[in-house]
Parts: sequence; C-alpha cells; structure tokens
Amino acid sequence: MRFMMLMIPKGYESAAPGTVPDAKAVEAMMKYNESLQKAGVLLALDGLHPPSMGARVSFEGGKPKVSDGPFAEAKEVLGGYWMIQVKSKAEAIEWASRCPGSPNEIIEVRQVQEMSDFPEDVQKAAAGFSEMQAQAYPAK
Amino acid sequence: MKFMILIKANKQSEAGEMPSEKLLTEMGKYNEELVNAGIMLAGEGLHPSSKGARVRFAGKKSEVIDGPFAETKELIAGFWIWRVKSKQEAIDWVRRMPSCGDEEAEVELRQVFDAEDFGAEFTPELRAQEDRLRAQIEQLAK
Repeated sequence: MRFMMLMIPKGYESAAPGTVPDAKAVEAMMKYNESLQKAGVLLALDGLHPPSMGARVSFEGGKPKVSDGPFAEAKEVLGGYWMIQVKSKAEAIEWASRCPGSPNEIIEVRQVQEMSDFPEDVQKAAAGFSEMQAQAYPAK
Repeated sequence: MKFMILIKANKQSEAGEMPSEKLLTEMGKYNEELVNAGIMLAGEGLHPSSKGARVRFAGKKSEVIDGPFAETKELIAGFWIWRVKSKQEAIDWVRRMPSCGDEEAEVELRQVFDAEDFGAEFTPELRAQEDRLRAQIEQLAK
C-alpha cells in the first residue's frame, strides 16, 4: 500500500517568500529520510516553498479564478511530503511517528488510491491511466 | 522548476464519492495532454481523510489522531507534480483543468524546493547525501 505523509508546519501559511528551513532541522530530517530509504520504503519526497510564492485557482461556476499567495484564510498549509510503500496504515503511522517533528508540526498520513481500489465502471473510465503514469515518470 | 499542484478536498471527495464518467473522461484527456507536453512528473488521488490519521509531536512523544478531519477546506484530495518553465505556465495549465461547475473545486500551486534554492546551510555533504538519496529512490521506483 502507498501512503503520503504530509508535513504541516504551523506558521508556514504566513512565511515570507525565500524562507528556507534552518540547517539543524535539515540535518535531522536528512537522517530521517535516509532511514526511510534504507528501510526500502521511500518512493518520493519533496519540500515546498511557502504559499506566498504560490497561487490558487478556484472554479466556481466552471470559470477559473486565479489568486496569488499568501492566502489569508489558510490555517494549515503543506510544507512538504513523503510517499512511502508499506504493508499497512499502522506501519505508515509508525514511520510518521519517527519523524523528527517539532511541537508546531503535524504529519497527516493519507492512503494513495490505487486503480484496484475503484469500482469496475470507474476503472473502465480511467483505463490507460497506469500506462500514462509509466510513460510520464521517467521524465524526471 | 517543479510545481506541486494540490487538489483541495470537498464534501464529495471526503464522502468517497466517485467522479462522474464524464469528468473522468475529461480528466483522462487532460492528463494525456500533460504527459504529451512533457510536463507530468507524478499524479495521484488520495483516499478520504476518514482512512487517514494525523501525528502530533510533543518532545519525544507523539500522539496519533484518527481521521476524518473536520476542516475540509484545509485537506487535499490529490496532487500532481509538474516540470514547468515558470509559475505562470503552471497557472495556465491549471486554468484548463476540467471541473464540474456545481462542485466547489479549488487547486493550490506550490513551488517545489530544488537544491539550487538553498544557500550555504545546505552544505556540500548534505547536497551529496540528497543526490545519493534521489538516485536510490529512482532505482526503487523502477
């Protein structure tokens, strides 16, 4: 099963453009990242620049409306993620608990949808998606 | 540069409702365009937060809270990772995303950290470690 571990750092919603994590925190996190990799569970990981460098698009009534960050009403925003491959939700939670997080950080653990999780008619309509992914992912 | 495109959750996604065949077909066409343009690096849907959990940290202890989580607007239902030349290119692609007019749909665009974005804090040793990590991840993903 694949899970996303979503890092939610409190306060990141108001971080200025160009904010980078502190060196000691990066060092501790890299040790954790290596432990995930050594265990053979790490599929992907990334850090995200703050929302002040991003944008949002809403589609009310089907029309796209663009707003630049930061987003005043956001109480929680994503700071980064890991994708891991494990045998169970309990194992994913176990890994999340080992993250060197600080008291102002939360990790949300979410199961990734696999094609086989969907009912047959949805699988039919989405046919070709796995092949599409296989074609796309080498393009790193 | 890389952008992570976050598809925000709504009542329907949190209820585990399947999108309509029409929307799925339109999404399939859209994904194909992204792949053909060489932009698509990754894309996944997430099961509702009722199947998830949150971990809070307090010193050496951690606390686990089971989903679902009330603030739907703060949750995500899926994501893409795209390689684009600029934030504007990512915005232009998002504006063309198929959506159901009657559902609330919101997408957040966030720039992904590249090694060049870090300063001296990201020491040569840490950079080498990251390169090694990414090479190994790529092997595992094959």
